[in-house]
Amino acid sequence: MTRIRFIQFRSILAIAVLSSFLISCSTQASSKYFGQTKVPSDNILRYTTGSEPESLDPQFVTGQPEARIMMAIYDGLVEYHPKTMEAMPAIAESWELNQDGTEYIFHLRKNAKFSNGDPITAKDFVYTFRRGLSPELASRNANLAYYIKYSEAYNSDRSFVKNADGTFVRKADLEEKKDAAPQTTTIAPHDTVGTDTEFHKYLDEPERLSVPSDAKERAKLTDKDAKLKAAIEGKELVPVKAEDIGVEAIDDYTFRIKLYQPAPFFLGLLAHQFFRAVHQGTIEKFGKDWVKPANIVTSGPFKVVTHKPYDELTVTRDPNYWDAANVHLDGIEFYPLDEQTTMLNLYKAGRIDATYNHTIPAPWNETVRQFKDEYSLHPEAAVEYYSLSVKKPPMDKINVRKALALAIDRDALAKFRKTIKPLVDFTPEGIFPKYEEARRKVYTEELAKIGSNLDEWKARKFDPEKARKLMTEAGFPVQQSGSGYSCPSFPVDVVNLTYNTAESNQKVAEFVQAQWKQNLGITVPLKNMEFKTFLPFRSAVEYTGAVRNGWVGDYMDPFTFLNLFYSPQNDGATGWWDPKYDKLLDDANKETDEMKRYEILARAEFYVMQQQIVIPLGTSGTSWVKKPYIKGMYPNPGTLHPWKFVYIERDQNKWNVAMDDIMTTEDPQVEAQIKALTATQVEAQKAKTTPQPETQEKTKTAKAE
Amino acid sequence: MLSFIIRRLLIIIPMALLVITLTWGLIRLAPGTFYSTEKKLPPAIEANIKKKYGLDQPIYKQYLLMLGNITCRTKSADEEVRSGVQFSIGSLDFKCFDFGDSLKYPDRSVNQIISDHLPYSATIGLLAYLLALVLGLGAGIVAALKQNSAFDYGSMTFAMLGLSVPNFVLGPILVSVFSLTLYWFPPARFGGIMSLVLPVITLSAIYMAYIARLTRAGMLEVMRSDYIRTARAKGLDETTVLLKHGLRGGIIPVLSFTGPALAALLAGTVVVEKVFAIPGLGNMFIQSILNRDEPLTLGIVAFLSIMIMVFNLIVDISYGFLDPRIRYE
Amino acid sequence: MANTEIVKGTSLWKDAWQRLLKNKLAVFGLIVLALMVVAVIVGPSIIYWINGFTADGIPQDGDLIKSFPPSLQHPMGTDEAGRDLLARVLQGGRISLMVGIISTLVSLVIGVSYGAIAGYLGGRIDNLMMRLVDIIYSIPYILLVVVLLSVFGGQNTPEWIQSLSAAFGGAGNQGLNQIFLLFFALGLISWLTMARVVRGQILSLKNQEFVLAARATGVSTLGIIFRHLVPNALGPVIVYATLTIPSVMLSEAFLSFLGLGVQAPYASWGSLAADGVKNIGIFPWQMIFPGVTMALTLFSLNFVGDGLRDALDPQTRKF
Repeated sequence: MTRIRFIQFRSILAIAVLSSFLISCSTQASSKYFGQTKVPSDNILRYTTGSEPESLDPQFVTGQPEARIMMAIYDGLVEYHPKTMEAMPAIAESWELNQDGTEYIFHLRKNAKFSNGDPITAKDFVYTFRRGLSPELASRNANLAYYIKYSEAYNSDRSFVKNADGTFVRKADLEEKKDAAPQTTTIAPHDTVGTDTEFHKYLDEPERLSVPSDAKERAKLTDKDAKLKAAIEGKELVPVKAEDIGVEAIDDYTFRIKLYQPAPFFLGLLAHQFFRAVHQGTIEKFGKDWVKPANIVTSGPFKVVTHKPYDELTVTRDPNYWDAANVHLDGIEFYPLDEQTTMLNLYKAGRIDATYNHTIPAPWNETVRQFKDEYSLHPEAAVEYYSLSVKKPPMDKINVRKALALAIDRDALAKFRKTIKPLVDFTPEGIFPKYEEARRKVYTEELAKIGSNLDEWKARKFDPEKARKLMTEAGFPVQQSGSGYSCPSFPVDVVNLTYNTAESNQKVAEFVQAQWKQNLGITVPLKNMEFKTFLPFRSAVEYTGAVRNGWVGDYMDPFTFLNLFYSPQNDGATGWWDPKYDKLLDDANKETDEMKRYEILARAEFYVMQQQIVIPLGTSGTSWVKKPYIKGMYPNPGTLHPWKFVYIERDQNKWNVAMDDIMTTEDPQVEAQIKALTATQVEAQKAKTTPQPETQEKTKTAKAE
Repeated sequence: MLSFIIRRLLIIIPMALLVITLTWGLIRLAPGTFYSTEKKLPPAIEANIKKKYGLDQPIYKQYLLMLGNITCRTKSADEEVRSGVQFSIGSLDFKCFDFGDSLKYPDRSVNQIISDHLPYSATIGLLAYLLALVLGLGAGIVAALKQNSAFDYGSMTFAMLGLSVPNFVLGPILVSVFSLTLYWFPPARFGGIMSLVLPVITLSAIYMAYIARLTRAGMLEVMRSDYIRTARAKGLDETTVLLKHGLRGGIIPVLSFTGPALAALLAGTVVVEKVFAIPGLGNMFIQSILNRDEPLTLGIVAFLSIMIMVFNLIVDISYGFLDPRIRYE
Repeated sequence: MANTEIVKGTSLWKDAWQRLLKNKLAVFGLIVLALMVVAVIVGPSIIYWINGFTADGIPQDGDLIKSFPPSLQHPMGTDEAGRDLLARVLQGGRISLMVGIISTLVSLVIGVSYGAIAGYLGGRIDNLMMRLVDIIYSIPYILLVVVLLSVFGGQNTPEWIQSLSAAFGGAGNQGLNQIFLLFFALGLISWLTMARVVRGQILSLKNQEFVLAARATGVSTLGIIFRHLVPNALGPVIVYATLTIPSVMLSEAFLSFLGLGVQAPYASWGSLAADGVKNIGIFPWQMIFPGVTMALTLFSLNFVGDGLRDALDPQTRKF
C-alpha cells in the first residue's frame, strides 16, 4: 500500500514539476525577440499562408491562402501597393479611364514575359479574362468580373435574341417607353487609342437583351413575364460567346475593358488573382494537369519548383520576369498549415519567418505583443457581425434588434478578444479615411434630422439602460431581479445564437450570451455547427435569432461591404431587402466625384444601420508576426504582400522597427522601388492634358510630388 | 479452413461496395456542399458548378455513374482517363477503379492523393508500432518476471498513464518541452529523422501501454500454467523456460492485437498529423469529410475498409489458433 | 462442507467482490471514482454557495475577463473569459461521466443482444450479422457523427431525446439536446466491439452441456440466449464495459479536439483539455487541471476494470 501511494505521489510530483517548469518558461519574456531569431543563411523566405492551396490555377482558386501564393507566381495588369493595397502598375505600365468611367485602356509593357520566355501581350489578357468567365471552368470568382459588359451573360450561359432583320432585341425595348432613353443614345466620347474595331462598336451600342439558353430556365422567366415572352417568341437565340465580352486587345500592347457602369473600385479589383495572366498554350496542351510543377507556366516574380501537397510549395525567382532585377528574395517556401498553435510553434522555434493574419490565438496576444518589432495588430478591411433573422419573431421587431445590439459592451468585447476594435457601423473603422470623413458629415446631417448627434450614435457601442428601455417598448418588459435583470416574456425557446465551430467564434458567442444575460436578463441558447453544415443554414436564413457572420473586403472600397445587402439574393443572411437601399448604391456608383460618391454610400450605410438588421461586433485586426530581419512586408488591410518588395535584412542594426510604426516609417529601399514602379503611370497622367476623373491612386501620387 | 478464407476474401468485394454505398448516402445526407464558402455564390455560378460536376443529373444516375467509375465500366474513345486502370476486350474499352478527381483539389486524382499521402501515415504509424512493440514487450516481460516489484508497479502505472492521457494533450506537452524550451526537435512538419521523434513517441504511447499490459498479463498466466510447471519440473533452466515457453504466451495476445491496431494506426494518426502538421492520410480523410469532398472520402473509405476487413479476417483466423473451442463452419 | 457451499449459491458475486477488495489499485480506483462522482454532483453547488461562481458565469467586471493563475479564490485558475476553472471542470465532469456511462449503456444493450444472437444462431445468420458489423465498422464514424448531429440537430431532434434532456433540466435546450445526441452517436459506434466480444464468448459457451441440457428441456431460443448464455458471459461483458467507459470518454475528447464534440457553453473534460492545450505555453493551468482530472478518472476506471477482470474472470486475459 505504501509503495503504491509512493508511486502515485511520484507521478503527481512529476506533473507538478513539469507544470512549474512550463509556467516558468512561459512567463520569462526577457529576450528581445520571440523564440529563436537567426537570419537564415540562404535568401529564402519561409512562410505559412494557411491551408493547402486548392489549386495553382489563379482563375479557379478563391481563398486568402491561395491569393498570397498566386501573387508570387502570377502578375496582373496592376499589383497591390504593399502598404495601402491600392492599384499600382504591373504588366500595365500605365492606363487611362474615359470621361464617364466605363472604359479602361491599359498600356502594357513590352518586356513582360511568361516563365517559359513567351511574351505577355494584350491577347494573353483577353484569353485570361475569357477563360475565367467560361461556364466550363465554373470559377467561383467569376462574379468579380460581372461589371464587364456581357460577362455575366456569357458566364451564366445566356443567349442574345435576334430579330428577323438581323438586329438584336435590346434591353431597353422591354422597358416602359415613356422614360426609356431614345434608341439613338449619344455615345460618350472616348479616348480612342488605335483603331476602333467592329467589335468595339458593337459594345458601344445600347445593351442587348439576354435570356437563359436553357429552355427550362427560360420558361421559368417567360412564365412570369408575358412581355418578355412576347419579345422573344419565335426569334432566333444566339448564345453569348466568349468573344462578346467587353475585353479587347487593340494591339499587342493595348488592352481595353468596357464596363456597364462606372465602378470606381474596379481598378483595385484587377489586382485580384482572378485577373492575373495565364499561358494559353500550356493550358490547352496539358488540360487539367497544366498546374503540375512539370508543366506549369507562370507570369509572376517567382516560378514553381516543387509542390508537395500539404507539405510545401517552393518557388524560386524567375529570371524571365520583367522586373526580376528588383525581386530581392531568391525564393519562397510556402508551408500549408491549419493549426494556429502549430504555426506559432514553428515561428517560435525559428522555422518559419512570418505568418499570415489572424494567426496569433487570442490568449497569446498579450505575450506576443511584447515583441513589438515582430507583432502586428493593425485594422483590417474585415468586419465581424451577427446577422439577425429579421423576418421571424421576435427579431422582426426593430426595437428588439436595437436592444440586443445596445446590450453588448463592445469595448469589453474588444478587450476580451484582443484583436478586434469596437464597431457600431458596418464598414470597418480606420481603413477608408476619406469615406469616414464623408460619413461623419452625412451622419451629422441625418442625425440632426432625428434630433440626435454623433456622440449619441457612438454611444451605441454599449448602452444597457436604453437597451432595457427598447426591449420593454418592444413588448418584452425587462425587470430588476436581485442584482441582475430578468425578461421572462422573451421567447428564448425559439431563438438561438448560432456560430460555426471555431474557438474564437465560440468565445465571442459565450461573451455575447453573458452580456445579454447580464444586461437584459435574456439567456439566448448557443448553437454550434460544423462549417459546411452551417453555411447553407445561414445563407438560407434557416436560423431564428442571430447567426455569426463576417466579411473580408474583396477590394479597397466601402462598396465591397455595403454590397452585402444589395439585391433580393443578398449575402447578408438576414432575409432583409429594400429597393430604396439598392437605389442608393446604384446612384453612388454612377457618381464620378469621389467624395460625393462616398456621401451617398454613407447615406446607404446610415439607412441600413437604422434598420439594425445586423449587430456589428468589431473591425478585425491583422494579428500576425514576422521576424525582425524580414523587411518590405507590411500589415496592409488585406495582409496581401506583393512579394517583390520583401527582402531579408542581414544588418542587425536595421532590424528594429516597431510594427506599430511600420506604416509611417519609410524604408528607403521599398519607397524607391514603389516610386520607380509608379513613375510610368505618373508620367502618363502628366502627358495627358484632359483632366481625368480622379482615382485614389492618382491623388496619392500627386500629393507625394 | 482454406475455403473459409477464400469465402471471406470474396465477400469483401460486396461488403466494400455496401460500405461505399452507405458512405455515399451519408455524404449526401450531410448538409452543405464542397463549393459552399463564406461568400454566397450567385445562382448562375452555382448552376455552372452543378453542371460541371454532374450534380444536375438525377440522383440515381449520379449513383450509378459513381459505382461504375469505382468498379468497371466501358468508356468512350474520347474520354480522358486520369486515374485507374484501362484495358480493352475486343472492340470495347474498359476503365476500372477510377475514383475521379478530388473536388477540393481539382487537379489531383483521388488515387494519386491516396498514394501520395499514405506513405507519411504509414511511416509514422509503423515506426510508432515498432517502438511500442519493442518497449511494450520489454516492459511487459520484465514486469511479469518481477511481479509486484517496484518496476512492475512503476511500469504498469506508467502504462496506465499512457492509456489515460489523450494524445492531443501528450503531443503539445512534448512539443512545449522538447521543441520550444530545449529546442531539440522541430515542433512540427515532416522532414528528416529529428522531425519524426516527437510524433512517433506521441502516437506510440497508447500502443506501448496496451502492449505492455497485454504482455505482462499473458506472461503471468502462462507462467502459472501447468506446462510451465512441467517444464520446470523437467529441470530445464529458468532462461529456457522463460524464452521458449513463457514468451510465447506473452506474445500471442500481442499478435492478435496487432492486426486491428495496424489498421487503426493507418487511419488513426489524425491527431498526431494535426498537431505536427504531417501530410498524412488520416488528416486528409477528416478534411475530406469536413470539405464534403465526396470522391476523396469514398476513395479513402474504400481503401481503409478493405484493409480493415482483411485485418479482421486475420484476427478471426488467429482466434481459431488461439482458442480451439471456436470452430469455423 | 458440501452443504454450506450449495447454500451459498449466489456467492460468485460476493467472492468477486472480496477478490476485488483485495486488489489495492482497484480499491484506489473505486475510491477516486466515488469521490469524483460526489464532487461532480455536489461540487458546482458548493462553489456557487461559497463564491458565487458558475461554470458559464463570465464576470461583469471587464478587468476580470482574463485568465488568472490558480489562487485561493480560484484553485484551478480561470479561463480566458475569467470563468472559474474548478467550476468548469466539475461541470464538465458531469458531461464526461455521462458520456461514458450513457454511451456505454447504449453500446451494452445493442452489443450484447446483437452479439449473443449472432453467436448462438451461428451459421449464415451469424455470418451475415458479423459482416454487417464489419461494414458499419468500416464507415468513418466522424461522418456518422456529423450526419447524426446535423440531421437530428436543431428542430429535428427526436422526441425521446428531447424528453431525456428535459429530464436533466434542459427542456427546449438545443445545446443539451445535442449533447444527448452525441451520447447516442458514441454509443452507436462503440457497440461493435462489444458485439464481437459477446459473440466470441457465446461461441465458446454454446456447445457446453448446460446449453444442450436447456435445449433438451425445450427452453425457447431467446430464453436460452438471455437466461442461460448471457448471464454466463456477463463477466467479460462487465469487464469490457468498464473499459469501454474510458475509451468512449477519449472518443468524445477526440471529437471535441476536432470541434465536433460537446457544444458551448457546456464543456467536457475533453473539450476543456482540447481548449487548454492550445494555450499550454502561456496558461498551462488551463490544460493541466482538466487534463489531470480526466487522466485520473480514466486511470481509476482502468484500474477498476482490471480489478474486475481479475475478480470475475481470472481465466480471460483480453486487455
